[in-house]
Amino acid sequence: QNIKIQGRVLDPAGQSVPGASIRVKGTQNGVTTDANGNFQLSAPGNSTLEVSFIGYATQEKAVNNQTKITITLVSDTKTLQDVVVIGYGSQRRESVTGSVASISGANLNAVPSANIAQALQGRLAGVDVQQSSTKPGATAQIRIRGTRSINASNDPLIVLDGIPFAGTIADISPDDIKSVDILKDASATAIYGSRGSNGVVLITTRKGSTGQAPQISYNGYGMVKDVMKYQMMQSEQYLALRKRAGLYTAPGTDEDATGNTNTDWQDLFYRKPATTQNHDINVTGATSSKGTYKFGVGYYRDEAPIPLSQYNRISLRGSVDQEIGKYFRIGFTTNDNYSITDGANLGMYGVLNMSPLANPFNSDGSTKRLVVLPADQPWVYTRETLAALGDKYVNTTKDLASYNSAYVDMKIPGVEGLRYHLNLGGNIRTSNSGSYTGVGVFNTDPNNPNTASIGNSRTTQWTVENLLFYDKTFAQKHNLNVTALYSSEQTTYNASNISRKNIAGDSFQFYNLGQTSSGSNDDITIDPNNQAYNQSGLMSLMGRIIYTYDDRYLLTATYRRDASSRLATGHKWHDYPAVSIGWNINKESFMQNLSWVNSLKLRVGYGETSNQSVAPYATLGQLSVRPYNFGATNANGYYVTQLPNPDLGWEYSKTKNLGLDFSLFNNRLTGTAEAYITETDNLLLSVGLPATSGVSSYTGNVGSTSNKGFEITLNGVIINNKNGWTWEAGVNFYRNVNRITALASGQQQDVNNWLFVGHPLNVIYDYKKIGIWQASEAATVKQYEGPAGVPGMVKVLYTGTYNPDGSPTRNISAADQQVLDADPDFQGGFNTRVAYKAFDFSIVGAFVHGGILNSTLYGANGYLNLESGRAGQINIDYWTPDNPNAQFPDPASPKSSNNPKYGSTSGYFDASYMKIRAITLGYNVAGKWLKSAGIKKLHVYTTAQNPFIFFSPYYKLSKQDPEPNSYANDSSNMAVAYGSGQSRLLTVGYNTPSTRNYLLGLNVTF
Amino acid sequence: CKKILDETPRATFTPDFFKTQAGVQGGITSLYGHLRYMYGNGYFINSNEAGTDEETWAQLADLNTKNIDFSGVGTVNPQTDNSGIVWNNNFPDINTASGVIENGAAVGISDALIAEARFFRSFDYFLLVQTFGGVPLDLGAGELKFNTSTARTSKRNTVPEVYTKAIFPDLLIAIDKLPTAPRVVGGVTKNVARLYLAKAYLTYGWWLQNPNNIPTYPDVARTDPAGHDAAYYFNQAYTVAAAGIESPTPYSLQASFYDVNVATNDRNNEVMLFADHTQSSAQYNGGDLSYSSGGFSTDNFASWFQQWNYTTITSSKTNSSWSGYSSVQRAATQPLGRPWTLLAPPQGVFKVTFADKLNDSRYDGTFVTRYRCNLKEAGYTGTTLYNANYLPIGEGDAVLSFLNDDVGGVDYTNSVYKSSVGAGVLPGRADFVIEPSNISRICYPGNFKLGPYRTDNNGGLGSPNGSSTRPFPVAKFSELFFIAAEAAVKGAATRAISGSYANDGTARGLINVIRARAGRWRFDNGNQVAKVQDNSAAIIAATPASIDINYILAERSREYFGEGYRWFDLVRTQKWTELSSSFVIAGKTNPNDWNDHTVGTFTRTILPMNYLKPIPQSQLDGLDMSPVDKKAYQNPGYN
Repeated sequence: QNIKIQGRVLDPAGQSVPGASIRVKGTQNGVTTDANGNFQLSAPGNSTLEVSFIGYATQEKAVNNQTKITITLVSDTKTLQDVVVIGYGSQRRESVTGSVASISGANLNAVPSANIAQALQGRLAGVDVQQSSTKPGATAQIRIRGTRSINASNDPLIVLDGIPFAGTIADISPDDIKSVDILKDASATAIYGSRGSNGVVLITTRKGSTGQAPQISYNGYGMVKDVMKYQMMQSEQYLALRKRAGLYTAPGTDEDATGNTNTDWQDLFYRKPATTQNHDINVTGATSSKGTYKFGVGYYRDEAPIPLSQYNRISLRGSVDQEIGKYFRIGFTTNDNYSITDGANLGMYGVLNMSPLANPFNSDGSTKRLVVLPADQPWVYTRETLAALGDKYVNTTKDLASYNSAYVDMKIPGVEGLRYHLNLGGNIRTSNSGSYTGVGVFNTDPNNPNTASIGNSRTTQWTVENLLFYDKTFAQKHNLNVTALYSSEQTTYNASNISRKNIAGDSFQFYNLGQTSSGSNDDITIDPNNQAYNQSGLMSLMGRIIYTYDDRYLLTATYRRDASSRLATGHKWHDYPAVSIGWNINKESFMQNLSWVNSLKLRVGYGETSNQSVAPYATLGQLSVRPYNFGATNANGYYVTQLPNPDLGWEYSKTKNLGLDFSLFNNRLTGTAEAYITETDNLLLSVGLPATSGVSSYTGNVGSTSNKGFEITLNGVIINNKNGWTWEAGVNFYRNVNRITALASGQQQDVNNWLFVGHPLNVIYDYKKIGIWQASEAATVKQYEGPAGVPGMVKVLYTGTYNPDGSPTRNISAADQQVLDADPDFQGGFNTRVAYKAFDFSIVGAFVHGGILNSTLYGANGYLNLESGRAGQINIDYWTPDNPNAQFPDPASPKSSNNPKYGSTSGYFDASYMKIRAITLGYNVAGKWLKSAGIKKLHVYTTAQNPFIFFSPYYKLSKQDPEPNSYANDSSNMAVAYGSGQSRLLTVGYNTPSTRNYLLGLNVTF
Repeated sequence: CKKILDETPRATFTPDFFKTQAGVQGGITSLYGHLRYMYGNGYFINSNEAGTDEETWAQLADLNTKNIDFSGVGTVNPQTDNSGIVWNNNFPDINTASGVIENGAAVGISDALIAEARFFRSFDYFLLVQTFGGVPLDLGAGELKFNTSTARTSKRNTVPEVYTKAIFPDLLIAIDKLPTAPRVVGGVTKNVARLYLAKAYLTYGWWLQNPNNIPTYPDVARTDPAGHDAAYYFNQAYTVAAAGIESPTPYSLQASFYDVNVATNDRNNEVMLFADHTQSSAQYNGGDLSYSSGGFSTDNFASWFQQWNYTTITSSKTNSSWSGYSSVQRAATQPLGRPWTLLAPPQGVFKVTFADKLNDSRYDGTFVTRYRCNLKEAGYTGTTLYNANYLPIGEGDAVLSFLNDDVGGVDYTNSVYKSSVGAGVLPGRADFVIEPSNISRICYPGNFKLGPYRTDNNGGLGSPNGSSTRPFPVAKFSELFFIAAEAAVKGAATRAISGSYANDGTARGLINVIRARAGRWRFDNGNQVAKVQDNSAAIIAATPASIDINYILAERSREYFGEGYRWFDLVRTQKWTELSSSFVIAGKTNPNDWNDHTVGTFTRTILPMNYLKPIPQSQLDGLDMSPVDKKAYQNPGYN
């Protein structure tokens, strides 16, 4: 018997939910809630109601003959993932056959971040995000399923709202993101062809939904930063080290050799405190006639602990979609962005290399301009000295970017399911930088001339995509979805840069380089290496068929043909196929009895992709410029450094993927397990030639790499709204084994570029430290190190042969250098969320196990571990006869280029860590006043970022973030940078220090 | 719309530019530019001075110096970048020169201009063959051809092949085609080519003769493909050098030795070839003007190596109790500049080589013998400081003097007058003093000749940490006299030399032209006063009647001390072991202690194999060859 039920649907905050749908389970009988969240329907007294609403878990509620029922929804991120964006379309998750990892915007923003790359760190299996700089506004490096190319780009393709995105990921405000879907295997990325060879990051921003009432929401937070200080030696330790080293026995005149002065230079330097703030307002809604709109504006400001160093971003977004008549739909999306980066050239070296013995203050309390150390007279960097610069210093970069796309979608009359779709994308990004350093600023010489420079660059890009879609179900069980594409795109980049000296005065800064004070000796520089122009184009044809039979058997087949301007004539075109199949096992009749299995899908895919992203003109060879002066006459010389290669063609990868998706126990446990192999051949490689070739290199298709790995993702609802409690947890775990499988013909190693067959791209080539030579080995050390050998030196592994008496047949030499694999064994992330009534509490973490972290702070490149007492010294436990178990060599031991011999080996650490990236406590404010104020939802939260770091040997020693912060060739973060051959590697240098952050945030919806 | 697949570079040159007139001319400019990677680079000086009788490792020396000092503090190895300087910079330059030679005529470049490329190709091969023995003539496209091949193999030719196929033919053409006067400031001329041909003949003569049985590599008989003997080449060396001396235009000897090297007289016509630099542009200077990092690049920073940390010297602010003040601050002036303390001259330099400091102006013109107070430039508020014996000193006064000879009675205790550098006090003298027997690895006279010089110090200390903006000398007119004299000592037939530098043409006669000039003073550099004095008669009288090779080498050291000639001179004459195996320097107990005046005698173990430097590891790593072939490619004894 049907009874009449009156009910109400509430959200977790107790607010009514309008528009939720209620259905009697197993029937077509259903209603939706009204504006106050109320509903009425008739149903059998023993029936069960299914309640669903977007963004919340579908709930079942037994009627049990009740006539008044209140249902509180539980927010569920999984429901958002029911639809997966796959590139030129979307699919229900159960139909996907490729490897796609997704995360909702809400989940992503659980770690408040400046950009998506940072937010993605540790969140998705197979998506390795590593920060490459800690400066404000810096982005991170994203690698999907390992690194394939050596010299070509390994960056994934970013697609913003359907259009390939030419800008920097920093230009996309994370607040606005609805979801991020990452295509990982070749069968998923094939549709993007060569641009997708490194994976595709599909970013979908929020839009209005049809029929929606206008809604305004505000998200904002404020954050203070707590610096993780570099651990430098204090006076007492420093004096002891200087004495032991015995090199700088006479202190500088500003040094207090008594040890009574102990200056904490970092304390005098950092902002107190550095803050970050973010504000974002979104308006979404629907027009009266089948249209939607979205408008958003955001402001983000991030201050570095380094004074005068900050990043500001203003973003403006809009989108309109409109159906016109029966056949047409049009839309337009714009993402505009203006960002200002200040003080990016301010570094830490001038602070860290200061002697703690030096007193920065004069007796009258004023700050000295310089301090005199034993061998140097560095300019004094403190908060005060920087603040006092005023007009004497500026370093600013202003970026203006506009990313726009428009589409026309037309149903073809007469053929049901056939659509034509035209995408037009137009992007422009300009960057204007200006820098000025006044007379004597940062310089020992108070009269050092002022310098100013300006730089401008512009990137323009256009894309045209013509698409045909055909979507049809035959005989109820055969579903066919066909996509055909013809597209072309072109990117043009142009940059100029000029600098000069002796500007007329501080007020001019870089604003008029023509205003000079001297009229001579102005050193006007237009360095040809700082000017650039390049243009590249890509044309593509593609076809894709997605066929499903009865939702049980799934097939996706893609064929693509690409042509790139970057490759040599006759080698520009390349074709490649991809195919993947899926089997929804749970839909088979034999599975029907296993009611605890909600879904189970097996996927297998094979595909080829290719890569063309070498720098434009690589096929043509290159001359280098060598400036010279004949007396007062300046001239430019030219010489060949890169040979042309008329045969340069595509680099291509073959990927096999095997995946299993499951959802168990009433969808309480969901997960994915995947394994893959990617083999990349014909690498686009800059092949270094021996000096006797007379030419440095050429770009060829040589060598190959492989990446093999597996990934596991698990998400569970441990407590599902029991007495107001909900507890969810997720974990992802992955391992990628990267190997170079071949280099140029017959070559097993390219030592200059640290490339070794059988090893990953991420290696260190150096001696292997096995300890410190001890006093009892005074005679032995000379057998290995020659006459210069003394106890207290770093002991490195000897790989040669031995004499009958056990002594080595030769000294330690280059032959003893090792290839040290630096990739981690496995890594991943985890998150958990506990909600109780209006409270919610969440933790997001990440972990890495194994691998080598190269910290140049402790190695030889940073010049902060000289162990000489010349300048600031990182705090270390060094060897002395009385301290034989120390980790670092004796300061009195031999030096190689200022550093202890084998000093670079002191910088290698076990890279393992587990890190809590964010802990958040939130509260949904409820109360009558909200409604009267017109507020639909009010959420306040507080977050601690990076609060805890565990299991990190590096953190234990250094109290520093165990993540890299600099590329190995970044000379601004180490005194002596690695060469360009090592530029792919990440290191820890003295970049802007990492911080722990504490923030307070607010989300409010009207 | 296939157009988007076409490529048109607009900001970079492709190698096709090399087939245009402007491109070929740019190629020639780059040949001059490549000199900077060696001449002026501190590590190049290091590799040609460390381990010789002119220099040993100084207090702050690292393994770059110690590994090639042979005195038991390190081991030479192929990783030493210092020998890689010659290897890595000259093959690309040889290739560029070959490109100019091949393309030049077709695009209308004159023979005279192409001859500049021939000069540099032979110049490069000459450096390579002296340093490493035989080196490849085929870079991938055939012998002496412009290479466009990407092959990664290499085969070394023998020493006679390098001389007779590359060096001699190119230089003979260069002498024929080059102009008499330089095309550009510092451009090469007939006489520059003569100097190098004479030197190459001389060096090859020594190699054929091989008096001390030094091995060569790749192993080859000491016979000349043209069938000549060593005596023939000594005669040739003499003849070519004599031709250069007799028609010197546009070159000449400067009036005094000081004038050759004083910065205000840079680009004088005694310096025939130099790696130029400029103060007007960091880009064209090839190094930062205010702070240079001094790597293996185009910076001119050689003068930092033989300069000690003079800024440690203190005077007193009061004359009652010692209140230390750094009275000699780092400044961009020729006697000072940036101190790296990497190379130190042993005491023999001062006691033997430069024993005559009164008649011979070259000691005074080579070394910084007084460190002078620059408190005014440093912005010191007062005008007077107090120094040894609490005597007042002011701007420009000597704070520290290196004495000509040991005088005795010097109080080195630093008990009352704290020099901070372990210097001594003599009664009545305001300056601290150091005797030759107290010269140590931490405190020694700097090299005056190479020091920095700027015209934009504006009354201040300037930018002493910047890359030097002075031209660095590569070849000097005076060397023609040394080459002819050395050839004569080796038995070349001599003849009377006519012209401006007329002499009897014997070794003694030629050397005395140089020595006479050394006796003519214009300026007393140590005391900073004019000194017009002609001691040439006395100095000539002191020349021994019979000149032997050791005398030539000592005289070369007096003329070119610390400029990077020494290793080549000692290796050519096979006298390295004999002259450098023992040296004396103070600071024996603790080289880091300013007050350690204990004198040590140090010995070096230099093996015959060391007369060839190791092929840099980067070359071997870059070769696509078997380990056995790579081992065979390396000079023997290095692995």
